[in-house]
Amino acid sequence: MTAQAVGSRDAADAAQAADLLVTVASTLNERLAVTAEELARSQGLLKEASDELMTAFRGAADRLVAAQRVDCADRPEKPEYGLVLDHLYRAVQHLQSHDLVNQLIDAQKHRVERMREKLGEAISLAAPPVHDPAQAEQWIERSRAMLDCIVAGIAQIDQDVHSPRARSMDSGSVDLF
Amino acid sequence: MKTILAVDDSATMREMVSFVLESAGYRVIEAEDGAQGLDRAHANACDLVITDQNMPNMDGLTLVRSLRGMHDYRSVPILLLTTESSDGMKQQGRAAGATGWLVKPFDPATLLQVVQKVLR
Repeated sequence: MTAQAVGSRDAADAAQAADLLVTVASTLNERLAVTAEELARSQGLLKEASDELMTAFRGAADRLVAAQRVDCADRPEKPEYGLVLDHLYRAVQHLQSHDLVNQLIDAQKHRVERMREKLGEAISLAAPPVHDPAQAEQWIERSRAMLDCIVAGIAQIDQDVHSPRARSMDSGSVDLF
Repeated sequence: MKTILAVDDSATMREMVSFVLESAGYRVIEAEDGAQGLDRAHANACDLVITDQNMPNMDGLTLVRSLRGMHDYRSVPILLLTTESSDGMKQQGRAAGATGWLVKPFDPATLLQVVQKVLR
């Protein structure tokens, strides 16, 4: 039922407000769908890149270990091995970023999905026809139910989200008890 | 050769930790979560446990508490290696019986220094 079909002026205004709320919720939900897609794409690209880097890292690490085995039997270790190991250690530190960024994207995806669910729920509240369209209260009640649903979604957005919480200044810090 | 149990649900992290420790001459056993870590700890005599905090099935703090309840692991050092860095979480780790708390991403040289220190 649209505002045009409503009798009283108050009811027409209330119906228009309810329609506007549906439009806003629908538009927001569509934008969140795009965000979800882009997050998934970013995660895919990140995985592809880190898989390649990990393959290169594994190759270098395995070659180093194999070379050390051949040489270590009766000769002192070559200083180049230490240099290569230093480079691999630096790679270790930065390859961990993939893991952290992946966790951050997972957390954002979870938040977006949770909000989309609630927006979908709010939009579905506007689907059934209003019992008496001439009564402004019915439209107001509908709008309130939709808003309550959206507010609940915002309140619950961080529930069950396990995003990395470390501040950059804490990275690599050590506490021995 | 000392045996270290590395518990993390990220395969990349397990691989990084294992590489650093093995390059320094340690034997490493891996587990994907706290529950599997507990099984591995039962089946092997580990000299040190390094565990992540946020994992499916069983988190790091629960693993620490479970290990401390086992006779063989009462005095084995246990390090948390995690992205969590709040004082509250560290206090919980200490209360659970953890030996230390390291924040990711870790520096390999620092990790090895800490490992050598707690294994002494």
